[in-house]
Amino acid sequence: MKQTISHIRNFCIIAHIDHGKSTLADRFIQICKGLELREMQEQVLDSNPIERERGITIKAQAVSLDYTALDGKTYQLNLIDTPGHVDFSYEVSRSLEACEGALLVVDASQGVEAQSVANCYTALEQNLEVLPVLNKVDLANAEPERVADEIEQVIGIEAKNALRISAKTGLNVEAVLESLIEKLPAPQGDPDAPLQALIADSWFDPYLGVVSLVRIINGSMRKGQKIRIWTTGRDHEVSVLGVHTPKRVVKDCLKTGEVGFMVSGIKEIFGAPVGDTITDAAKPCSAALPGFRKVQPRVFAGMFPIDADDFEDFRESLQKLRLNDSALQFEPESSSALGFGFRIGFLGMLHMEIVQERLEREYNLNLITTAPSVVYEVLMNDGSVTKIENPSDLPTPGEYDSLNEPIINARVLMPQEHVGSVMQLCMEKRGVQKNLRYLGAQVQMEVEMPMAEVVVDFFDRLKSVSRGFASFEYEFVRFQPADLVRLDVLVNGEKVDALASIVHRDTAYNRGRDLCEKMKEVIHRQMFDVAIQAAIGSKIISRSTVKALRKDVIAKCYGGDVSRKRKLLEKQKEGKKRMKQVGSVEIPQEAFLAVLGIDRRK
Amino acid sequence: MPGDPPSDLPGDALGLYLHFPWCVRKCPYCDFNSHALRGEVPEADYVAALLRDLDADLESLGDRVRPASSAFLGGGTPSLFSGAAIGQVLDGVRQRLGFTDEAEITLEANPGTVDEAHFAGYRAAGVNRLSIGVQSFNPAHLQSLGRIHSRDDALRAMRVARGAGFENVNLDLMFGLPGQSADQALADLAQAIDLAPTHLSVYQLTLEPNTEFAARPPTLPDDDRIADMQAALQARLADAGYAQYEVSAYARPGRRSRHNLTYWTFGDYLGIGAGAHGKWTRDGQPRRRAKHKHPKTYLATAGSAACWQEDQAVATADLPFEFAMNALRLVDGFTPAQFESATGLPVSALDVPLGAARRQGLLDDDASGRLRASALGYRHLNRLTGLFL
Repeated sequence: MKQTISHIRNFCIIAHIDHGKSTLADRFIQICKGLELREMQEQVLDSNPIERERGITIKAQAVSLDYTALDGKTYQLNLIDTPGHVDFSYEVSRSLEACEGALLVVDASQGVEAQSVANCYTALEQNLEVLPVLNKVDLANAEPERVADEIEQVIGIEAKNALRISAKTGLNVEAVLESLIEKLPAPQGDPDAPLQALIADSWFDPYLGVVSLVRIINGSMRKGQKIRIWTTGRDHEVSVLGVHTPKRVVKDCLKTGEVGFMVSGIKEIFGAPVGDTITDAAKPCSAALPGFRKVQPRVFAGMFPIDADDFEDFRESLQKLRLNDSALQFEPESSSALGFGFRIGFLGMLHMEIVQERLEREYNLNLITTAPSVVYEVLMNDGSVTKIENPSDLPTPGEYDSLNEPIINARVLMPQEHVGSVMQLCMEKRGVQKNLRYLGAQVQMEVEMPMAEVVVDFFDRLKSVSRGFASFEYEFVRFQPADLVRLDVLVNGEKVDALASIVHRDTAYNRGRDLCEKMKEVIHRQMFDVAIQAAIGSKIISRSTVKALRKDVIAKCYGGDVSRKRKLLEKQKEGKKRMKQVGSVEIPQEAFLAVLGIDRRK
Repeated sequence: MPGDPPSDLPGDALGLYLHFPWCVRKCPYCDFNSHALRGEVPEADYVAALLRDLDADLESLGDRVRPASSAFLGGGTPSLFSGAAIGQVLDGVRQRLGFTDEAEITLEANPGTVDEAHFAGYRAAGVNRLSIGVQSFNPAHLQSLGRIHSRDDALRAMRVARGAGFENVNLDLMFGLPGQSADQALADLAQAIDLAPTHLSVYQLTLEPNTEFAARPPTLPDDDRIADMQAALQARLADAGYAQYEVSAYARPGRRSRHNLTYWTFGDYLGIGAGAHGKWTRDGQPRRRAKHKHPKTYLATAGSAACWQEDQAVATADLPFEFAMNALRLVDGFTPAQFESATGLPVSALDVPLGAARRQGLLDDDASGRLRASALGYRHLNRLTGLFL
């Protein structure tokens, strides 16, 4: 059947974690018979096990569904999945750019969350039609009226007539599809113009190489066509084109307005950057699509194999991970305390946790991760500016003139009763309030904060002071001068570079004291006393001691005890594997992250 | 401190461990193979099973059968058995492999099951050393340990032992007990020394897995107090002429336990009885064998291979660790020659762990060439032996 551009609808789903995005997507697939019932694996879209476990989506994918509507016509519905976390806001914006509309799915028993609000704003800014949908109305505590009201007040779109649905039971799900067809505009574009396509996402497939999700803006893309990637300027030949239904269906051509995947012999993920433009090599379009950005990591941490022999395995694992994660940046780092490892750049804290978990789980590496740090700008005495990603790289005072730290603009959305405690938390984190808006029962607060304060336990604190009700999103705004000092930690008199952090001068003393206490808790007693000192420059500002373990001996061992005692010693040895030998002291992973936990004490 | 020369046994020492699995009641800290007795001890059946079991082991030992240089009748509570029964067991041993002239034959006795006739019978049967499980003289601590005996029972046990002609006696004591102070531990030790045993085993109470204490742990003194307590006990023992030769073992001159030294020098020993473990070398290959633990299964299978719950060669790769875990418990440590003859491996097999131990200050190298734990290593023996894993 021939489908014209007017029968295409490209859309995505905006939803907070657990509000039912994946279940709804599964329903759509079922209704459009994309998969037989027995083929349905729950939550098809979240295909990576860690994503499924955490209920988040890291990599976007798309499904193309044929839906025969009540008007008797068959429409091509392209559902483009978007990553669901604050760290991936750029990726989200590129997925949205491939769509004309978005379904805003809100849990009718919960209400709107900041992440959805932020993504909705992005969608509205990008001129998408946003259709609100109230999910989980089958739950006894669902309050669709209140939540509809909240959507109107917080996001500013009409929601009184939002469909009340249950993705779980299937209630009104077909009505959602009908409403998509009715209310979302069909794509525009000139089928006769030179090819201009958006790379909405790229990922690495071990058999195909780099696969890109593309949206054809103008013209068409054919198998065998010579294409050019705008920013790399490199030409490739399209070898495979197709869509997922979600089964893989190969096509000869993707036409204006369509969304599909493309393989063109690109070997590295950097060869097909997200947000970039694809055009015809022989007949290029006149301009690139707007909005392309090079991905910038904002948070850096050192990762070191506990066993130095694992260094090469570690490097290989990172290279493999990067095949699929263009945001991941790394370069070798050598620490006098931890040996050889890598300084790794992440989009944010969640990205860091995901990478760490995958390295440990999928690649079976035992790693020590240092406390994450942000990037600082250092104005040197000679007027030059350098950026440092590692606190231990900070020049000694006197060599530089001043330090700039990154500032973010944060939006926190929360029920009214938590405003006071959240505000207090933000002030404690050196925040400057920019705006406070009352939106029905919710309050949206805009605060500028040093990013360094956010990587130190802000998420956990926010959750706890708001009893889980506050949600949060942020963007980088600028570098700004600040009175910062490097806080060093000495273990038995030796400076441990991997424990250094950059802190505000006003909080340095408290930080130093809390850090020494925390380290004392997490460093196990050893054969000798371990002195822990915090210092600024050559000045010791705090100190604690881990007293020596007096003895560590099995009291009884006779003829029949060998295998049992052996197990005991093996267990002790296993515990030591999670520790890094620094000088003669064994330091556990928790000590390197102690700087993150020190504010949590009441 | 004056003491015996290093604890070197002849290379052909053969220990014989005989296990008696029944107790009046199971103690909450005990992780040995013991079973609360219901009804009468099946003496005759068990004695017969022990000798069948021994026959089967001797067959496996082949041409390495030689007179036993020690025997240890442990449990459980061997003192639940009559002198006659013990006599039958030891006679059976004499018929099969015999004892060396100097053989040390120890029987473990519970102060709660002391019977004068039994003790006299043991002596007559050839038992020449008693090991009495006193643990403490303090009524509150005896109760918290779930012991069936009182302070007076313990004192009487020593009297009965002496009366029966036992002059070589070990007392077991424990410290680090729930609620115990250093003074109370020292008072227990003073009382024990007052009884003038030839040997004292002074153990720190350990919460072992699969015991009642592991399931419902009592509150013990903290690690630092226990370390202080041990230091005080060691000083008192040295004063009284008991020289430490192993982590928990102290002896008068010439009274070290030959049987336990067999374990600690990685010598050969047969393990006869329910749940008993043996280790011997044949054709240069050390093997371990363990018998079925449950008395009922043991009685039904003893004498056949079906009784061997575990029966395997010690992997060559495990030998350095197993040797070190035992030999480094000795204050005197070991000589390279001892290692080579006990394991069949060149002493260079220990180069890596010994190097690490020296770097960490855990090893003493003295002019005599013995390898032994330094003072630091002796206090951190788990770390030291862990290096050999």
